[in-house]
Amino acid sequence: MTRLGRWCAVAVAASLLVVAPLVGRWLPAGSADAGPEELLATARAAVDRPWSGSAETEGTLQLPDADRFGTVTALFGERTDLRVWWRDREHWRVDRLLLTGETDQVRDGDTTVEWSYERGEASYSREPDLRLPRPADLVPPVLTERLLRGVGPADVTVLPSRRLAGESAAGLRVRPPSPLSSIDHVDLWVGEDSDLPLLVEVYADGEARPSFTSRFSDVSTEPPGDDVLDFEPTPSTDVERDDVLDIADAANQYAPVRPPATAAGLALGPASDGAVGVYGEGTAQVIAIPLRDREAGALREQMAITPGVEQDSERTVVTLGPLGVLLTGADGDGGWLLAGTLTRDALEQAGRDVSTGFVFVEDRR
Amino acid sequence: MSSSASVIRTDGLTKKFGRVTAVDAVGLDVREGDVYGFLGANGSGKTTTVRMLLGLVLATSGSIEVLGEPMPASGRDVLTRVGALVEGPAAYPHLSGRANLALLDSAGPDGPRRTRDRRIEESLERVGLAQVDRRPVRAYSLGMRQRLGLAGALLRRPRLLVLDEPTNGLDPQGINEIRRLLLELNREGTTVFLSSHLLGEIEQLCTRVGVLDGGRLVLQDEMDALRGPTGRTEVRTPDPARAREVLASITDVDVEPADDGLLVRGLDPADLNDRLVSAGVRVSGLAPERRRLEDVVLAATTSGTDRFGREGERP
Amino acid sequence: MIRAELTKLLRNRRTWGTIAIINALPTLVAVLLAITDLGPRPGTGPAFLAAVLTDGTLFPLAALAMVLPLFLPIAVALTAGEAIAGEAQQGTLRYLLVRPVGRTRLLVAKLVAVMAFVVVTVLVVAVVAYVVGVALLGDQTVTVTGPTTSVSGTPMSTPELVGRTALAFGYAMLCMLGVAAVALFLSTLARTPLGAAMGAMTLLVASTLLLTLDAAQALHPYLLTRHWLAFVDLFRDPIRWDDVVRGVLVQGAYVVVFLGAAWASFTTKDITD
Repeated sequence: MTRLGRWCAVAVAASLLVVAPLVGRWLPAGSADAGPEELLATARAAVDRPWSGSAETEGTLQLPDADRFGTVTALFGERTDLRVWWRDREHWRVDRLLLTGETDQVRDGDTTVEWSYERGEASYSREPDLRLPRPADLVPPVLTERLLRGVGPADVTVLPSRRLAGESAAGLRVRPPSPLSSIDHVDLWVGEDSDLPLLVEVYADGEARPSFTSRFSDVSTEPPGDDVLDFEPTPSTDVERDDVLDIADAANQYAPVRPPATAAGLALGPASDGAVGVYGEGTAQVIAIPLRDREAGALREQMAITPGVEQDSERTVVTLGPLGVLLTGADGDGGWLLAGTLTRDALEQAGRDVSTGFVFVEDRR
Repeated sequence: MSSSASVIRTDGLTKKFGRVTAVDAVGLDVREGDVYGFLGANGSGKTTTVRMLLGLVLATSGSIEVLGEPMPASGRDVLTRVGALVEGPAAYPHLSGRANLALLDSAGPDGPRRTRDRRIEESLERVGLAQVDRRPVRAYSLGMRQRLGLAGALLRRPRLLVLDEPTNGLDPQGINEIRRLLLELNREGTTVFLSSHLLGEIEQLCTRVGVLDGGRLVLQDEMDALRGPTGRTEVRTPDPARAREVLASITDVDVEPADDGLLVRGLDPADLNDRLVSAGVRVSGLAPERRRLEDVVLAATTSGTDRFGREGERP
Repeated sequence: MIRAELTKLLRNRRTWGTIAIINALPTLVAVLLAITDLGPRPGTGPAFLAAVLTDGTLFPLAALAMVLPLFLPIAVALTAGEAIAGEAQQGTLRYLLVRPVGRTRLLVAKLVAVMAFVVVTVLVVAVVAYVVGVALLGDQTVTVTGPTTSVSGTPMSTPELVGRTALAFGYAMLCMLGVAAVALFLSTLARTPLGAAMGAMTLLVASTLLLTLDAAQALHPYLLTRHWLAFVDLFRDPIRWDDVVRGVLVQGAYVVVFLGAAWASFTTKDITD
């Protein structure tokens, strides 16, 4: 073989190897036979069916970095690799994979265990009424179910099919039914074989790239076995029992306040029975958490150095893509933290409504 | 011309490095039993040619046959019967000479392990390194390394030895030993291809000569033919003036003065001697004049002999 | 030929010097951990380092996580960069080739020798780290605390731990194949062994850097170092094979391409050193 011939052989081998991983992506996607209505129903139902797989979420929202919201900041601002085993809404396991270990949440009915490898610690807590977002909320089927609340067939259009996680998936574009939503649209693709949402993309107003993406890289509809869903701590594990799951749960249980019944015209959701208020649903939703002065002060400081912040004596507010974060009050005060997918005007209105409309109650303890 | 088999034969052998033609249509012809002197100034393309013969450098065009087989296509087969020393010896500095030879022998085909130790000892003995201890090669002198390189070339009793400047770095004593060794090997049937820029070395050892100049083979012939008689007779005498007088009377005889006598053309040596001695001229030496290799090479090359090293220049 | 290469490798004092240096870091870390009892904060430091404080039998893995990103690939790059360029610089290459040793054979023998170096190095790291870990940090399997805990929080029996550790070390060896192939290719081009090694290290650094860059995401699946730390996945429960398998495939691809390039380059090269 000549010199040129040898180099050509090497070049051909190299290009084949470069192209090989792309072949799966280039297979033609089928055309969807299901209509938008049927697709909506399928997408919503996924959360009640068993499945398991590897998912990956990616957020571009640089939230203010405050200690007690740590995981939330990471979830919305970074890439997160997840491994999920889902039997139904009350029995699942979601592993958040880290380079140096993992943090797993395993839910078994009313109890949720969080296992952290690096701390060597397993904390048990009861499943609270209200809490901050956690990885399990962001897996495509779960996120889809939440975003589709209140969405009807009139709000969706069909998108061209794509190949995702090794199958052809039908696409839907969802426009938020509520004018108060800061989300421009949500694109989602439902696998034609697995009937599971495989990719969810959330777009803010006027943004060409999604602010938040959640996708399956690999998924199966096999029901997960007990061996993966049972968590049994080893003798060397520190076992803890937590009364409160996170800051939202703590405030909800113990803050001696009650939020008003409406905010920015949105009604208080059915889950709200304590100090924390959740208003609206689906793509137009906001959570209102009462914070003590120490917590509020730390958060206010962090928010004040976030790019695009606006601050006056009434409130501190930042908008990050579709997500608005508002903290009422000024330095030295406690305040209400409002976070949600509302337009700027609606969020400011909700802030005023909550800070003027809440009532004190007797300390439940 | 001898009719023995061809050991190295190249035809139109050419090597270009980019736009520079290092070797230009060289047609070597080395025959079985030759001690072939491959003479060329530094930079004449000698080493490139040697490397092409051994398959290290790939020819741009032309063909090579070594031991009757094409190179580099049959290299695996041919090179087991060739011993080589190319541009100085080389060895792993942290290992001893013996370990180096063993490693080299075990690296390629046709070096049976059964006979390895014996062959290594024999080779070391032949090159005068038999007494060498377990010192690593790092501690060897230049001359010792040269000998070790030669031992490596002899390890499998090759039919052809290709040696590039084999006496580099040796003292006069060592040079003599190596010359004797090469002649001895040649008597035993080994063909020797000796590449050198030293005229004297080639002149003393070789039976055939090829001269490379600027990448071209400008001369290739038997040493005897090159150094043939010139037809003149060298006369050494303490009485050059008397001798001239005596010879002046003879017609058709040319006489030229030389260093310590005369150069005479037109008389055969016996007759010349008779006339001089009868006339009472004392003659201390008388022999037919032969051509010197230096003159032949000078005539054939454009570069001049100043670019060839003389014996005296050796370190 | 392979035998000759192995002899050369094992009789070279530098081989053992390199191995000693590679082992120095984990040993130092073990000593420091034993003295201070200070683990890395979560999310920082090499994998398993937090866990070794309670279980010294995991120390070989922590040592692997320490040497795999930098020390080991540099040692491999140096060794493989030496392969052809070193022989050429020494002048021994021409004597090997006229011995004769086929050029393809020589390349394969060199790769085998480099891999032998990797295997020996990694095994020495494992053994040294085990001894150091158990001696300085304790052995959980013989203490009251019971079996080792997997990354997912489930118990791992001793045979399971040994098996997975063996797999992880095997995987680490495989990961070095790609570096070896790249350095070997550069070694056929470069005039000096150091040049070849530097070239391979440049690729490593570039690969590591691109991995942190979101803009280079399209390139990530092709990067040499992309899946190196995936050996941690072997200690999850159930074992997560995706990245490990992908890592093996990437290394395979690098070996095919760069060994091919080394072959194309070396077999048609004029040896003029």
